[in-house]
Amino acid sequence: METVAPITELPPNPEFAVLASDERIDATAAALRSHGLEALVVGTGAEARAAVLDRLPEGAEVFNNTSITLESIGIAGDVERSGRFRPVRLQLFQMDREMQKREMRQIAAAPDWVVGSAHAVTEDGSVLLASASGSQLGPIASGAGRVILVVGGQKVVPDLASGLRRLYEYSYRLEDARARLAYGVPSGVNNILVVNRVLAPGRLTVVLVRQVLGF
Amino acid sequence: MSEYDYDLRPMTPSVVLVGSRSSADGYAIRDFLTRNRIVYEWRDLDAGETHAAYRPGMRLPLCLIPDGTRPEEIVVREGATVETVARSLGLVAEPRLAEYDLAIIGAGPAGLAAAVYAASEGLRTVVVESVAPGGQAGTTSLIENYLGFPDGVSGNQLAARATVQAERFGAEILLARPVDDVAPDSGGYISRLSDGTTIASRAVLYAAGVEWRRLDAPGVDRLLGAGVYYGAGPSEALGCRGCRVVIIGGGNSAGQACMRFSRYAAHVTLLVRGDSLAASMSQYLIDQIAERENIEVRLRSEAVSVDGDDNLRTIGVATRGSDAIETLQANALFICIGGIARTQCADRVGLMLDSTHYLLTGIDLAPGGEKPPGWTLTRAPFPLETNLPGFFAAGDVRSGSVKRCAAATGEGAMSVALVHRRLAEIGGE
Repeated sequence: METVAPITELPPNPEFAVLASDERIDATAAALRSHGLEALVVGTGAEARAAVLDRLPEGAEVFNNTSITLESIGIAGDVERSGRFRPVRLQLFQMDREMQKREMRQIAAAPDWVVGSAHAVTEDGSVLLASASGSQLGPIASGAGRVILVVGGQKVVPDLASGLRRLYEYSYRLEDARARLAYGVPSGVNNILVVNRVLAPGRLTVVLVRQVLGF
Repeated sequence: MSEYDYDLRPMTPSVVLVGSRSSADGYAIRDFLTRNRIVYEWRDLDAGETHAAYRPGMRLPLCLIPDGTRPEEIVVREGATVETVARSLGLVAEPRLAEYDLAIIGAGPAGLAAAVYAASEGLRTVVVESVAPGGQAGTTSLIENYLGFPDGVSGNQLAARATVQAERFGAEILLARPVDDVAPDSGGYISRLSDGTTIASRAVLYAAGVEWRRLDAPGVDRLLGAGVYYGAGPSEALGCRGCRVVIIGGGNSAGQACMRFSRYAAHVTLLVRGDSLAASMSQYLIDQIAERENIEVRLRSEAVSVDGDDNLRTIGVATRGSDAIETLQANALFICIGGIARTQCADRVGLMLDSTHYLLTGIDLAPGGEKPPGWTLTRAPFPLETNLPGFFAAGDVRSGSVKRCAAATGEGAMSVALVHRRLAEIGGE
């Protein structure tokens, strides 16, 4: 039998770390809009942060997904620490994993707002997300009232096939290393969500940033 | 590790508390943070844990508090207390108005229900709470017989939702300071908080609830916070993993504590003074306890002493019908033996109490149909009204109240209708 090295020992494919050109990012935003998503393009992480904060109402219930992108541009802190919002993540973290399992599932499944990121956005207007537990995906697909995804410009890929390759060959390898360090457990591309079209106009916003952010 | 453990850790630094497990101050802060739903990390020096900011010689407990959205800015509090932590976290707010229509003392189920109804009906409403929203019910792990929650709801969640609801309607909630005194003033009342803040209101609802009855046994006071706790100790559940836990009490609070700790502890002993649980505990809890293999129920039993060096180690247990005192090994003791009314400041304002120090209201003030002493109005006191016009009481603190969460919320809601009648009486509504 052929011996295969564990995939996590492979380095991330550098092809997917390259920032897309302004033209490709603009074209991606236009394709997303044609699929019912709100899409805006900003120059920097700071502008992305301002755009997100501009959309979140004061006092809103917000679930900030686990995201290096959000952490790096300060949105995770805004949601969790500013006192301006009701952070679902902190609420869930404090709940009793044994006694309140069902309540936790219900709260996590349908927050008013989700703020997160994606792992790939295709130039023909699809958004791809992978998740080890899958808990982020349901709310993004339909459970949450509104969703905002902040996406670094290096995540723009030509099509679905290259998007899936990006999940396995880039995002997963970096996320796996992070998960092992942070939690002591491996990650996994256990669940994948592909958003091709949004039926409720404006429910899902993608903020594309002309900057490398996250995995 | 569950999927939630993977996904739900805060992305930003949280409050860190460094101290000794045997510190009563440390426990008070852990309890305060837990009940106020503040995420924190606990570093137990006794267990060999530490923190980069801790240096030997610092006054404990040490509390590190991130400053809003600037994680690099950390406030370090040596010798932290509940009050300094509450202030550092920005939880201590000043009243926004010079006068309110209704001041509610206590943010348990009765106070929060009143706040929701009063604020939703346009009354200028303020709630003053000494510790955290939820009262005694707020420390309950799972209330399974509360109307509308077929799968149960934790007291903490119920309180959190009610707090959001009350604030959405415009009620102010002032935390972390008890009310020291209430005095009549110009047809209304002035409430004075422990830090000197005063609140003027045209009516008062006193819903301060009850506190746990003290256990009179040698060693209890010395080991308080160091393995001995009053109430269900929600902050301590995780710390009891693999431990031997003893709970004293025969009511629903004790039963719910049993169910909570049995999930974490190796063994839970429930000490009950009576001959059975049936007289004081809901049947669903009795059934659940019977099914849990690591819970042992000891009837006709009382704790007569507790012992340990820095932490609880043993509990002396006397059983009726036997002269022997049995020694139980225990890492934690939770005392849930009923309540005593929080009527200290009510005493000073001249409110009438029953023989067990609960507040008298309505027809209980003068059972023969007479008016209570000093009552100057032509009408009789409203139901839930004390012997002072416009000063109402609801929930567990009220004489004759049913000690159930739903009953307290009902009284809270009902009191608002009576407050309206009082405000109409004194004008301005």
